Amino acid sequence: MDKTGENKQKRTLSPLFRRLLRLKVWVVERLRLSERQVTLIWAALIGVLGALASESFRKTSDFIHYLATGSESSIITSFVKLAWWQRLAVPTVGGLLAGLTLWLGNRLFASVRQKTTTDYMEAIVVGSGIISVRASLVKSLSALFSISTGTSIGREGPLVQLSSLAASLLGRLQRFPIPQRRHLVACGAAAGIASAYNAPIAASFFVAEIILGTVVVESLGPLILASVVAAFVSQVLHGGGPLYKSVGFNLHTRWEMIPLSCVGVVLGFIAPAYLRFLRTAERLFSKVEIPIPLKLAVGGAIVGALAILNPDVCGNGQGLLRSLFHQNWFWDEILAILLLKLVATAAAFGSGVVGGVFTPTLFVGAAIGMLYGQTILYVAPDLRSDPAMYGIVGMGSFIAATTGAPLMAILMGFELTLDYAIAPFLMVNCVVAYYCSGIFERRFMYGESLERKGAAFFNQQLAEVSIRDLVRLDPITLPKSATFAQIAETFVQHRFQHIYIVDKEKRLLGAVSLHDVKTFLDRPELESVVIAADIMNEDFPCVSPRQGMSEALHKFSEANSERLPVVDDLNSHRLIGSISKTDIILHLAGEKSGSGTGRQFGK
Amino acid sequence: MISRKSVEQLRAAIFIGNLEAKSDREAILKMLGALQGHPQVKDLSELSAATFDRQQSDPPLFPGGIAFPHARTNSVSSLVMVVATCPKAIRFSDMLVRLIFLIGVPKNAGADYLEMISFLARHVREDQVIDRLVKAEDLPSFLTAFAEGP
Repeated sequence: MDKTGENKQKRTLSPLFRRLLRLKVWVVERLRLSERQVTLIWAALIGVLGALASESFRKTSDFIHYLATGSESSIITSFVKLAWWQRLAVPTVGGLLAGLTLWLGNRLFASVRQKTTTDYMEAIVVGSGIISVRASLVKSLSALFSISTGTSIGREGPLVQLSSLAASLLGRLQRFPIPQRRHLVACGAAAGIASAYNAPIAASFFVAEIILGTVVVESLGPLILASVVAAFVSQVLHGGGPLYKSVGFNLHTRWEMIPLSCVGVVLGFIAPAYLRFLRTAERLFSKVEIPIPLKLAVGGAIVGALAILNPDVCGNGQGLLRSLFHQNWFWDEILAILLLKLVATAAAFGSGVVGGVFTPTLFVGAAIGMLYGQTILYVAPDLRSDPAMYGIVGMGSFIAATTGAPLMAILMGFELTLDYAIAPFLMVNCVVAYYCSGIFERRFMYGESLERKGAAFFNQQLAEVSIRDLVRLDPITLPKSATFAQIAETFVQHRFQHIYIVDKEKRLLGAVSLHDVKTFLDRPELESVVIAADIMNEDFPCVSPRQGMSEALHKFSEANSERLPVVDDLNSHRLIGSISKTDIILHLAGEKSGSGTGRQFGK
Repeated sequence: MISRKSVEQLRAAIFIGNLEAKSDREAILKMLGALQGHPQVKDLSELSAATFDRQQSDPPLFPGGIAFPHARTNSVSSLVMVVATCPKAIRFSDMLVRLIFLIGVPKNAGADYLEMISFLARHVREDQVIDRLVKAEDLPSFLTAFAEGP
């Protein structure tokens, strides 16, 4: 005892040590990084990685383009120099190679694809933030062949894909939890868009508004940081400046505000037709039962055939947009290239080429806006309208109307031109276009795709999970002779909404619901008169481990309960455990359920 | 708080005064017999079987000599009740019973059953109330005695 007392005496801390300890605690508390701060740091790194991934794709694409056309110029310039048969052959062979890449990838990595996703939107919204490396590389290689050989498809798709893949790998490497991994992949997507368009603000809002569906600061902060860093690195690597530098606009008369404010109405009503046109092309190609390589070759051949008529249809439309804004185009030339570009984009998109339709959509909006501007100039020459101004406003309005993201469209329109004078008109027209489009079309460009992927992912997850995996053993039970007092006591002790009633052989007889008895729990007169058999629901739904999760969810909707009893067999009805909605949701979200009282089945 | 619904159900009950029986089974059978042709009773034999089945589990008895034989069965379309007074007490398990409330309730009306039992049990806690109720000769006098309270 004395000895222990001596030891205690020795262990007493000196005042200096105490002060040092307090200082250490103070420093640790002040310097401890929260999850948000850590995410910000990783977001910046993802910005760098995203820009580097995008730049690598660009360089590789330029190299393949050189191999295919023998020219280091832009896609349109290269195609102008080609003979007619080469204009046809290059996109056709490119499509064939792109298709062969996809076909081989599907054969080699089918098992990988089933377990992970290749789509960044899916990984962010419904997935676990894990993007398949091999399948992503296959898609990117396929996109490289298509884009480098002049197919009318945007390269922002693979840029975002690679950038998101880098973020996903980082998240996996650091073993981040699923929500953080998803957030980092979202940062990767924003970085990819920012480096593709040199538009960091719009990139952050693209991901926030379209994919995450929220613009709260918690999620937007890291997206902005990743985008800004990516845009900065991209500017360092291949120069800065807006993608479509504005020539500077002035309103010659205030009356011009009237037609300029109506661009959104026109584009808003045309946008649903454009979306349906793309969907129809996709549907038509899906009906043609030929192997993927041939399908993509056909898509490439259509673009090639159109390129014989006019090489301007080739590529994503970025060069064409610059030309549209800075050179004088006659209305019939604009109309002709618009129609050709529409067919070329629909052929590429419909055949299943890997890539994006964002830039082609920007072109369609700009071209229609310019046609509208030309019409105004013809009808009211005194206004001295500049059709390019209508083109830029049209570009933003069309993006707002097709993506259903007016905020992003306003910012994108502004960042692509960096012309503040156009901003108020962009704001008005983007919002108007969005509302006009919404009258006829509820399924926007990325929303439909997300819905489809979400449903497919959910169904796949449901099919994969079995009730057996999620059963919690030893649920709370009572015999049918249990008194009302025992029932009340059990409800007080446990947080469950139902108590299962079993016989001596543990066969499930029914369930007593807290909802049914809660108003009577304080009535002592019932304690000796009422037993479980008097108040149990004999038809309470139950499931067996052999049933699928879809059936369990159906039963949940019948029972209106957080838990369902699990019986070994629907004939014998021997109770083995229970399954909860929370566990199912956590499982679908990719989380392991840790709460609950019982042991888990088969674990 | 008095449940209006329970009061209405009690008013609609069948009353048997001075019920005489040598056993609980005989008493219950006589009370079930009073439900013959009752519009809410779809199948009397099923109601009878369910009532005796419940009696075997744990006869619901309340201190002071009150029995609540009952059944949750879909052989009745809504709550039905037979009230019997037994000046000559009848043995139910180990209790001498002077008042019997036989209740038939549909399976989906568990709350009605709990409400009714709670309502009755709260009103007949006192011996003097039971004494008064047992003396009732018909339903109106029974209801009057019931309404007087403890």
